[in-house]
Amino acid sequence: MSSADDGQRPIDPRVAYILHCAGCHLPDGTGTPPEVPGLRDDLGKIVQVPGGRGYLVRVPGASQAPINDRELTVIVNYILNEFNATTLPEQFTPISEKEVAEQRPKTLADPLKYRAELWEQIDY
Amino acid sequence: MKSTAEILARIDQLTQNTSRSLAQLSSRRSFIGKIGSVLVGASLLPLLPVARAATGEARGVNELGDDQSCEYWRYCALGGTLCTCCGGSVNQCPPGAEPSPISWVGTCRNPVDGKDYLISYNDCCGKAVCACCFCHNAERDLPVYSPAKANDILWCFGTESQAYHCTVAVVMGEA
Repeated sequence: MSSADDGQRPIDPRVAYILHCAGCHLPDGTGTPPEVPGLRDDLGKIVQVPGGRGYLVRVPGASQAPINDRELTVIVNYILNEFNATTLPEQFTPISEKEVAEQRPKTLADPLKYRAELWEQIDY
Repeated sequence: MKSTAEILARIDQLTQNTSRSLAQLSSRRSFIGKIGSVLVGASLLPLLPVARAATGEARGVNELGDDQSCEYWRYCALGGTLCTCCGGSVNQCPPGAEPSPISWVGTCRNPVDGKDYLISYNDCCGKAVCACCFCHNAERDLPVYSPAKANDILWCFGTESQAYHCTVAVVMGEA
């Protein structure tokens, strides 16, 4: 069994994603909607609206995953780059560990309502 | 009226002509080829109703041991019954059971090469529980309040039936 992240060794983004996310969201991020949302293509739009970057690490699956902020940062950037390259803005700044540390503890009491509000701001 | 000998001679002639024209039309090799296809087809038939787990099995992993034992290396975090004891294989549901597309993922160390591998535990669903080889291995297992990492949860989501049958352990690659 691999030991938990010790903060020293590099994290393999794909392995971390598979271990902590792919069980439900599947290895290619397609998910099984409606039970499990997909992680492909639309997240590049979410990061462009206010609150969108933080939302990605505040959703229960991310904020409550048994991993530290460093691992979550690696995973969320992997999801954005790997599955959402088509919608990411050209000048995209990767999510930082500092952002994750700030945003992750802000509990979303109603994630679905918050998500719907975010989507209303997105111009298709 | 023709004699019996004449009739038999006609039949002989007819058979000979038919065989000759058949031999001219088809080579022995193509005949063997066709028979071969039929035989291969027949050997694949029993596999057709078996649904494979959605997650692809990594290739080239050397392993040893009894895959019908809870001690088998892939099962280090498996809570449930082994599909290998229920008509399935280590990564394939038994006939008539449907693999859940979602799973819980852990890592186990392969004693043959000493490496850690990512293992996807997919439940096979849609049949009554198989009452063989029940294992409760709990490496990296967390209580059910952390559902994504709890192997006591039945993972029959996204399947037609939520009835739990058994669990397979698919190697997804090196950890």
